[in-house]
Amino acid sequence: MSSTLNRNKLYIILLIACFAGYIWIYYNYAYNLDNFTNGVNTCIIKQVTGIPCPSCGATRSILSLLQNNLAEALYWNPIGIILVIIMIVSPVWIVFDYIQKKDSLYVFYRRFEILFRNKYIAGIAIFLVLANWIWNIQKGL
Amino acid sequence: MEPQKVDLFIMTNGKYFESNHLIPIRDRLLEMDDSKWGIIQTLQFKDPTISLIISLLGGSLGIDRFFIGDTGLGIGKLLTCGGLGVWAVVDWFLIMGATREKNMEKLRQVI
Repeated sequence: MSSTLNRNKLYIILLIACFAGYIWIYYNYAYNLDNFTNGVNTCIIKQVTGIPCPSCGATRSILSLLQNNLAEALYWNPIGIILVIIMIVSPVWIVFDYIQKKDSLYVFYRRFEILFRNKYIAGIAIFLVLANWIWNIQKGL
Repeated sequence: MEPQKVDLFIMTNGKYFESNHLIPIRDRLLEMDDSKWGIIQTLQFKDPTISLIISLLGGSLGIDRFFIGDTGLGIGKLLTCGGLGVWAVVDWFLIMGATREKNMEKLRQVI
């Protein structure tokens, strides 16, 4: 069996990731409502270097969003908003594809990958991530 | 293709592929026309060891996945802090095999 990324494998990875995300968010939502300071720190970069990584604060961002606080969600980390959209859309899309026996999400994913191989789009994306990272370090997440 | 050329290819590039792929690659190259030798010689493969080093250092930013050309998974790792650190650790063990598979894919496009 080849281990290259085909439709079913991508969908399984996405579903596992989304499911893990739901559990993680539920865990944080249920146990760490006070200021989110005593949560479990899973970030390897932060534990090794003490500097937050570009996506640190995404959990706090999603939790703020759950409390209808969009401004705070954007402050913690804009990546949280992107993750929420992915976590909501992709399971629905996968179920849709599964019922219709299509591979529209897989085709979309491949197009998206090709899009990010364009050097200008990749450059903009890298710039945004770096800017977000610098902002994270300034905020001291 | 001449057996000497094929064996030269296997010797110089063997480390870039899974060991169970080497025999099929050898058989396929032996059947092939000599005119493709130039293209095959110029193919650039990713070194699994390099990707392991990148995975150890920048795995939670997804740089290892970007390196081998899995842009989508790389973005996934970057946005989720290396899948909450779990995916980053899992990839320390998977990345060498994934690199070899990517190399095989690249070779398959030619042969």
